[in-house]
Amino acid sequence: MRAVGGVPWPERVRLWDAALSAVCGYFREQGLREVSTPVRVPAVAVEPFIEPIAAPPALLATSPELAMKRLLARDSGSIFQIAHVFRRAEIGERHSEEFHLVEWYRVGAPIDAVLADVEAIVARVFESTGAIGHAPKDWRRVRFRDAVAATCGVRLRGDEDAEALVAALPPVLAEPVAAALPRAHAATAAVRALLAWTAFFSAWSDLSFEPWLKEQEGVHLVEFPAPLAALAELDPAEPSLARRAECHVRGLELANGYVELRDPGEQRRRFEVVAGLRAAFELPTLPIDAAFLGDLPRLPPCSGMALGLDRLITLAAGRTRIGDVSLALGEI
Amino acid sequence: MLRESSLRAPRVAIAVDRRAAEILPTRTPMDVSELRKNAKVKLDGHPYIVVEFQFVKPGKGQGLYKCKLKHMITGAVLDRTWRSGETFEEANVESRKMQYLFVDQNGYTFMDSETYEQVALNPEVVGDDKNFLLDQLPVDVLFYNDRPVGVTLPSHIVLKVTECMPGVKGDTATNATKPAKLETGHEVQVPLFIKEGDMLKIDTRTGEYVERVNQTK
Repeated sequence: MRAVGGVPWPERVRLWDAALSAVCGYFREQGLREVSTPVRVPAVAVEPFIEPIAAPPALLATSPELAMKRLLARDSGSIFQIAHVFRRAEIGERHSEEFHLVEWYRVGAPIDAVLADVEAIVARVFESTGAIGHAPKDWRRVRFRDAVAATCGVRLRGDEDAEALVAALPPVLAEPVAAALPRAHAATAAVRALLAWTAFFSAWSDLSFEPWLKEQEGVHLVEFPAPLAALAELDPAEPSLARRAECHVRGLELANGYVELRDPGEQRRRFEVVAGLRAAFELPTLPIDAAFLGDLPRLPPCSGMALGLDRLITLAAGRTRIGDVSLALGEI
Repeated sequence: MLRESSLRAPRVAIAVDRRAAEILPTRTPMDVSELRKNAKVKLDGHPYIVVEFQFVKPGKGQGLYKCKLKHMITGAVLDRTWRSGETFEEANVESRKMQYLFVDQNGYTFMDSETYEQVALNPEVVGDDKNFLLDQLPVDVLFYNDRPVGVTLPSHIVLKVTECMPGVKGDTATNATKPAKLETGHEVQVPLFIKEGDMLKIDTRTGEYVERVNQTK
């Protein structure tokens, strides 16, 4: 199935060889150390709709984030890795249940440093693979609230609760949010806010943001609303905003990063809010990684980023489906 | 977010399908992550097949399962998006290759081409397709919860003219038509040059004359 219309095999091997060495070469030049953390893990970050694949008695990592932060807490210094990660039931032209995340952390650096890394890696991978596709001509930075205002004419602060968010949205976006909310009718206000913002984010991405992004080259979406902070720290000057960024090239989401949250109490509270959302959707209960939370006070100030390598190679090859460049021989 | 676009008019009475739906035992809801192209889905009591499927998801968002669904009996097409955490119901639908045998007081009898099992369909299910049922005509019969709910004919069949006004020789250019009765009893409008005994290609989806064919039976 993948072979139909896909890149010929020797060319795929050449693409991956070029991309892998470009990524490693870049980080080595930058002085980051390469690590390789376990694929089987006792717990994963508790996220609303990221489902781990079980490998009893462990889980397959959905991201190397927690493991790498535990190394950072042990004075690893700035590190990177190219990790195999697994997310159940994510299957599509841009999704695969197994994929490669380039993940890195720069100690003592602001988010701008890892955003600059994304631009550099994208340029290097396009160059090393022979620039078959067109590298992004430029990158621009767009604040989440400005992107929402520009694409659907609504000004959001970022700290609206579920009901205020629904009331603020145009009908086409309010409808999917309002449809999801009854599932969490008995949940806390924080759970309902997370659900509302998550449902809004998906609907807005699909209907408004992505069509706009497709007309752009490289875009860094920055300053996320606080309910979508995930593992990012909040802006101390404006706590309705999180120091989280997402990087897109012509509508394809490539990377996601944070100024990393270092407060174990706040991180535990966020995991519990996500657990509340998961319970409302009857999703499997995920253990909260106590060892990770225990290490968090020793995490040095740092910024981190995760970039989907399969998607970047797809772009560099001038393709749209990750299956066109995948080295996987057949489906599982 | 339910947009409906009908490709062509229903050929089978929906009422039949509704009745089939009412006796449907409640099935375990399936997690939306089980949705795939060609999945058979029950929506508002109707059986649909997923003809186009797209999964999109912001990395940290709710997944969207964007489907184009085709009604398995009427062929009507609609778009439907499911989201992570939602469920759907599977439609218990299968299509079997059968051939037409005969009609009697029990209805229209078809035979499974592999198992030779015979099934009688009531006239409501067969609908206007009765106009094209020839002995041994191969068809696909749709079963919904093991009940026959629809018949799909070959898109074109050849039928003999049994009755019509005499042919007007040479008149192949004008748009004038006349009625002609076919061997199944179906009446169609045909060009003036058609005569009794001619073999005509008929589009079973519209019931209309397509062309005269040089074929004898």
